[in-house]
Amino acid sequence: MLEQAGVPAVSLCTDAFVVPARAMADVLGHPGFEFVTIPHPIASLTPAEIEATVQQVVSDVVRILTKP
Amino acid sequence: MSAAPDLPVVDAEEIRGLLEDYYARGWTDGLPVMPVTESVLAGFLAQTSRDPDEVLLDMPHLDRACTVRLAAINAAMAGCRPEYFPVVVAAWSALKAEGYVPRAIWQSTTGTASILLVNGPIRERIGLNSRSNVFGSGFRANATIGRAIRLTAINAFGLRPGELDQGTQGNPAKYSACIAENEEESPWPPFHVEHGFEPQASTVTAMTMRSVAHIEARHTQVPEQLALDIAGTVARTGALIHETISACIALGPEHAALFSRAGWGKDDVRRFVYEHAVNSRAALAAVGKDAVSGKTRWRLSSAHAESVPDSTADHDAVKVLNSERAVEIIVAGAHNAGVSAVIETFGPRGGPPAIAPIESS
Repeated sequence: MLEQAGVPAVSLCTDAFVVPARAMADVLGHPGFEFVTIPHPIASLTPAEIEATVQQVVSDVVRILTKP
Repeated sequence: MSAAPDLPVVDAEEIRGLLEDYYARGWTDGLPVMPVTESVLAGFLAQTSRDPDEVLLDMPHLDRACTVRLAAINAAMAGCRPEYFPVVVAAWSALKAEGYVPRAIWQSTTGTASILLVNGPIRERIGLNSRSNVFGSGFRANATIGRAIRLTAINAFGLRPGELDQGTQGNPAKYSACIAENEEESPWPPFHVEHGFEPQASTVTAMTMRSVAHIEARHTQVPEQLALDIAGTVARTGALIHETISACIALGPEHAALFSRAGWGKDDVRRFVYEHAVNSRAALAAVGKDAVSGKTRWRLSSAHAESVPDSTADHDAVKVLNSERAVEIIVAGAHNAGVSAVIETFGPRGGPPAIAPIESS
């Protein structure tokens, strides 16, 4: 929705939600929408574990945001 | 050998083939559904004054809506008789008023289902069970009205498990959950009358349900003991995702009579449960739920970086209900044992329940 408004955006979801995320993208008319996936779970992680997860995916986030 | 029973002559292979086709199209909840034709559909639509294209409930985030026609098709597939359909239509009105369904609660990992409560004379007219096995199986009206809602969720909104329905475990009410109040064996006014409807009106109330937790209390005639047993069940820490919870207490007729004999009305039960459904601060700390998130208001440990004190931080006895109105009381089940249940209803409530009148034919 942000991208429809002209704002570059990236969606992150944990690997547990890849199927619903793709289904939702289909419903909204964006089949093949690219997600950055991170390992599940998130809610119970410590700040240090969150930081480590972010380090793993930050390059993917930048790549999608700057994709022409 | 006895004579062959008088059964209709049908081609079972043809019927089974049709049912298999419904399965193959993904149109079922795992159980067989009843075939629907235009003429069957017309029989259902004739039971309501609503326009077939009228939207009963929409989910804007999915750009999908349930019309009267879609509700009727799924009610017929669920095995409803046409005369049940006004209950189904009212159920959709109640679900819309309840508010969680349009906001995607059926898709949540939480795994809630909607439970319907029916009051008034329609119960007798269509054979809705309010007594033995009220949460169980065996009654077509209960089974198929509840199932009509679930099949619509699957077929009109596309909420299939693991796809747009992300329920971590779900719960058994996702097949069907429709009960009737045992008004005849209640010492108090029926639920819909308590909330301003005439006794001769029939209504559907919709609630979002997590679990049904039973209370075994066959041993006592002391109202305070029974009410504490109920309050302890309401207060379980596992139910606390938000700061507070809500509950509908389904008293068995024996328990309702016990309270009534002691001079307790519904409001007395409600007030007692509100005051005694508590956890100590230490008990909450022991499970890491002694504070709330400053962002989501979900419970977490006071040691968490995001934590802020909950709204009763200065109390050691932490109430799990935000008001007396967060607990509803109904009477349901058989008058045969000291058994009641807490229907854990989702969300920190306190407002009036979502009750919709059933159109009379």
